[in-house]
Amino acid sequence: MPALLQMIGRRLISAIILLWGVTVVTFALMTIVPGDPAAANLSQQAYDDPELRAAFERKWGLDQPIWVQYGRYIVNLFHGDLGVSQQTHRPITQDLAQYIPATLEIALPAMILAIVIAVALGMIAATRKGSAVDGGIRGISLVGLSTPPFWLALVALYVFFYALGVVPNGGRLSNDYDPPPTITGMYSLDALFAGQWDVFADAVWHLILPVGILTALSVSGLLRFVRSAMIEVLDAEYIRAATAKGLPPRTITWRHVFKAGLLPVLTVSGLMFASLLGGAVLVEQVLSWPGLGQYAYKSALSLDLQAILGVTLFIAVVYTLINLLVDVLYTIVDPRIGAK
Amino acid sequence: MNSSFAKPLAVASSLVVAALALAGCSASSNNAASGGGGTLTVDTSFVLKTLDPGLVYEQTGNIIVHALYETLVTYEGSDVTTVKPELASKWEQSEDGTTWTFTLNPEATFSDGSAVTADDVVFSLTRLQNLQGSSSQTVADLTFAAEGEDTVVVTSPTPNPNVPVVLAMPAASILNAAEAEKLGATSDADAASTDTVGTQLDEVSVGSGPYTIKSYDSSSKVVLEVNKDYWGDAPDYSRVVVQNVDVQNQKLTISRAKADEIALDLSGPQAAELSGDLQISGVADTSYFLSVNQDPAVSEVTSNPAFVAALRASVDGAGIAKLFGEGATAAAGLVPPAFGGALDESDVQPQDIDLATSLLEEAGISSPKVDLVYPAITYRGVDLGTIVTKVQQDAKKAGIDIELQPQPINVFLQSQSEGKNEINFSPNSLNYPAADSLVNNMAPGASTSLRVGWTTDRADARAVEASNAVNAEVTPEGRTEAMVEWQKVMNETSPYVVLANNAGIVVATSNLDGASYTPAGWTVDIAAITAK
Repeated sequence: MPALLQMIGRRLISAIILLWGVTVVTFALMTIVPGDPAAANLSQQAYDDPELRAAFERKWGLDQPIWVQYGRYIVNLFHGDLGVSQQTHRPITQDLAQYIPATLEIALPAMILAIVIAVALGMIAATRKGSAVDGGIRGISLVGLSTPPFWLALVALYVFFYALGVVPNGGRLSNDYDPPPTITGMYSLDALFAGQWDVFADAVWHLILPVGILTALSVSGLLRFVRSAMIEVLDAEYIRAATAKGLPPRTITWRHVFKAGLLPVLTVSGLMFASLLGGAVLVEQVLSWPGLGQYAYKSALSLDLQAILGVTLFIAVVYTLINLLVDVLYTIVDPRIGAK
Repeated sequence: MNSSFAKPLAVASSLVVAALALAGCSASSNNAASGGGGTLTVDTSFVLKTLDPGLVYEQTGNIIVHALYETLVTYEGSDVTTVKPELASKWEQSEDGTTWTFTLNPEATFSDGSAVTADDVVFSLTRLQNLQGSSSQTVADLTFAAEGEDTVVVTSPTPNPNVPVVLAMPAASILNAAEAEKLGATSDADAASTDTVGTQLDEVSVGSGPYTIKSYDSSSKVVLEVNKDYWGDAPDYSRVVVQNVDVQNQKLTISRAKADEIALDLSGPQAAELSGDLQISGVADTSYFLSVNQDPAVSEVTSNPAFVAALRASVDGAGIAKLFGEGATAAAGLVPPAFGGALDESDVQPQDIDLATSLLEEAGISSPKVDLVYPAITYRGVDLGTIVTKVQQDAKKAGIDIELQPQPINVFLQSQSEGKNEINFSPNSLNYPAADSLVNNMAPGASTSLRVGWTTDRADARAVEASNAVNAEVTPEGRTEAMVEWQKVMNETSPYVVLANNAGIVVATSNLDGASYTPAGWTVDIAAITAK
């Protein structure tokens, strides 16, 4: 255990250095990227007016040298202030507090479902390697990997909303309902906590399409890893020995194959989840889901430096924490790794 | 080895199907026609940063602010030729055209019941000036003064028959000064840095309009509820939900909608594909043109008047209009057909490749190669790259070799402003619905013209004279007439090559009345929509 705590401590320290590096790189990139934030936020005629352009730059601190802007940002960061967004005119922390739960609300269930489905299908494929079932499952994975997210979202919207009418056209709630009192920021959970069953049902109804699409996209990639990992374990000598000893297949599968094959799956799942949290921009855009992806996209369009920094830092924190969590899970799944 | 996963997988699949069925049964959608106190749904792809009238500029903000606040005067429906009374019951212009006197309607009250006074008007309009936002330019030269409780005097340094037009725009909305000041609003000269309203006016409206804000989420939906103490005629719908819907999604959504719903962002081709009894209205209020650089230091070729004339002759306006779909027309001049002063269809210059070729030959311009810079965006449902590709193909027939240079929108706006592009392409909408507003920006030496180096000394004298002639007129009718001549002169002497005009479109379910597109600046008047 002390070794584990030491590992966590070292990783946290390096995370802080990493995050500082992220701020430097992001600031540097924003100075290199062509485009003027004033042009992105003012009308064409206002932008042509030197006085109005100067007023905009003064208001957002863009008239200061870049190192002054960076210094101010770091000082404010230590006070928990990520600045104000040029597009929403709200504190970035407030924006993130709104958009992150919205993305979590679709990313979490999508990831859980994707893991369950991918592990199940991957193990079926691995245990029936070379069969028609295996071929079919690998085909599904290939189709999923080849499918552009934007196209899948549009087709799903067309089929399930327009043609069949079984899901809504996007958004988080129907117009008849007001959002529940905020606890987590996830409408479904908050409605549950507030006992608003009709709002809960409506929120879940609105989750079906985005979660379904993200699950389908995530399953495809994960499936291949699970299958590969399981096949590698199935080919191991100790599994053949267990079979030869006459252990029941169910015991071999669950006690040996599954556990051993899980390790690489954990890594990939973690990275995939971090990627989903970063915002499935195209899916959110098509389905009008007001999540982090949409926020990041609009921030980029507006050259909203502070918002871009806020999103980047959040994603960096997520990747760092998920990698740390995966490493901790590794030691639990396989104590030999922790001992090393 | 037997797989033990089929059973759990089947169970999981059944649970998903059951959840679908359960949620679909218990959730509701707004299918039944309401009106008479019900909910109107407005589908639009959000371009929304604020609901503060002093700062509002984007489309979605204008639509909503127009429902929350009122202006001294306004437009009704799609008619932008005549301003109508709103908070002002009457107004008059001085003989020299520099002073306007507005008399307030004594019945007008804010949503808190307090009367709308001249001080509120002066506060709101002065604040608009001093916040130095995008819309402040429209009132930059005006001064505002209150004479008593119910009279506002607006003064312009030069004759300005467009004062009522400007004051009809959402940015010129009148705030309850006392309530606004409680929120930190100020009209002081340094308001750009001392106004501390922040985002409060996104959550709370302090106007006199038919609606107030119920909730605001700039990424998903804004909900309005009826102002129960509205001093005017109560709107038909007690609740309006303006929701952010992607354009592709809008088409599917409005196709399935049964009642009480409108969509604002469909293009001509998309609207043409709609079936059923949806209502479609549109007005060609956006123009598309090329701007050709007149600075010899940037390009010896493009600064040659013969090249501009040749390029103009090579354009197939009718063909370009077809790319925009329903409602689009070939452009005859810089003023779109939606506005008074637009040239007639008969003035459209047809494509004449022979003329283009001969103009180049006479000028000794051989195989010219030029760069055309444009924003790589989809505007009103049309990919601008499609339009410039057509221009490129047409120009090629005349021997002009155009290299297309797409740029991200922000980069384009900056590069355009720097004045170094050989040819720019962009759409253009009027700042306010008066054709002569174009002269402020596009006359020789004005801001748009300087982007392509068209200074007064490089311009043909006729262009300068025609621009001055417009500004010398002190009545709207006089300016409209002068604009006709101005456009003809611009067609001959300016670096602007007009291409086509495109329509903004509103699609509405069949049970609605009054859901018509307006070129006034707020797309559609939400409060005027009724159920049949």
